[in-house]
Amino acid sequence: MNFLNKIIFFYYREYKLNMSGIQDILTNIIFFFISIFIFIFSIGPDKETISLIGVGILWTLLLLSSTLSLRKFYQDDFENGNLLIIHLNGFSFGFISILKTFSHFLFVQVPFLLSIPIACILLNIANDKLFYLFASFSIGSLILSCLGSISSSMNLMNQRNFLLGSVIVMIFSVPVIIFSVGIINMEESFNSLINILFGILLIVFAINPWASGLCLKLSLENN
Amino acid sequence: MKFLVNPSKFNEMADYIFKPVLILSIILFAIGLLFSFYLSPDDYQQGSTVRIMYVHVPSAWLALLTYAIMTLYSILALAFRIPFGFIFNTAVAPIGAVFTLICIISGSLWGKPMWGTWWVWDARLTSVAILFIIYLIIIFMNLSFENRIVREKVVAIFILVGSVNLPIVKFSVDWWNTLHQPATISKLSKPSIDPSMMTPLIIMTFAFIMIGIAIAILRIKTEIISRKSYLS
Repeated sequence: MNFLNKIIFFYYREYKLNMSGIQDILTNIIFFFISIFIFIFSIGPDKETISLIGVGILWTLLLLSSTLSLRKFYQDDFENGNLLIIHLNGFSFGFISILKTFSHFLFVQVPFLLSIPIACILLNIANDKLFYLFASFSIGSLILSCLGSISSSMNLMNQRNFLLGSVIVMIFSVPVIIFSVGIINMEESFNSLINILFGILLIVFAINPWASGLCLKLSLENN
Repeated sequence: MKFLVNPSKFNEMADYIFKPVLILSIILFAIGLLFSFYLSPDDYQQGSTVRIMYVHVPSAWLALLTYAIMTLYSILALAFRIPFGFIFNTAVAPIGAVFTLICIISGSLWGKPMWGTWWVWDARLTSVAILFIIYLIIIFMNLSFENRIVREKVVAIFILVGSVNLPIVKFSVDWWNTLHQPATISKLSKPSIDPSMMTPLIIMTFAFIMIGIAIAILRIKTEIISRKSYLS
């Protein structure tokens, strides 16, 4: 029971932190919508073209704007020492990374999930595609959170070149983009593609605690 | 075989084999280029452009082989605490990047007359481009960390995570319908290439391997020396 309480308090703390800095999350979402506007300005307001490439634009922008907040993933806790305190309370580094991944999913990716319908209206995407979009994004964003955990824990000690973290996430998210855009465009092969996406999620979910935990441990040891 | 994991043994071995390897690579390049430009036949469909294969294929093989060896050394270095693996990773990553770049550029030059475009977005080409970007990220990571211990371990972890791309590159021509042709030589059965084209290809492959080993020896020795001065 004690362990469970600790997990609940961990998420309560994450909730408090994210609510006190809610303008960060809202800025992310504003970035997302502004980029949609800019895309439409650069392509032109033709409805046919927009609905043809709308899904691709949506996924690209979701990826880009979720990599914007990577710096907050571990960096704040690492610099003020909270990471070490959480570890001293009996959480292994791998387990911390799993908890943090779910917290990132809840507080950064779920707001995007909620703002997808508005984006669909703006990009002229048909209503019957909304279900596929939700299904693919709820799996794909968890994959993106795992990748974000790996890359931001790698770059904790990297003071010079933080953009590298975003590049790492983007290079590994190529299969996610391929299969989740495929789900929406080829609805008849929904089952097989969503199984592939689940497979990628399981692979990334298995790698994540090992890689992030090792990187967190290294950075804390050599700080 | 201790010279593969021990820096001082590697230095001794490198002094023995560096000059022979360099001379051998020059001889092999001379013979191989002679074969591939003058002594091998034209293809009945592709004409003279088939000679690009003698640069394209060996560099592609070596790009993959370099990454595979780096993966192996990362496992050795992280699991068995052999620091030579970190030295190897730091030294060899630019060589692999250059091989990948040669592969992409020569393939692009080959694709323009044969396929009609410099670049198509099929699975093989895209995965090789991703391999090139992964090599670049490894190089940039090596340059941008300040703490050496963190840097080398993080790079090793990144190499292990990035090695998921290797089977994708290898099997992309079998899994998807690509414009790029499937493998002709690495079949277990008899290779489906004519012996008159096989000979220069094998010679050029060995020449590329030898020049790669020669440059790798130079870079690893430099890296060992720089680490000695770092510690003292």
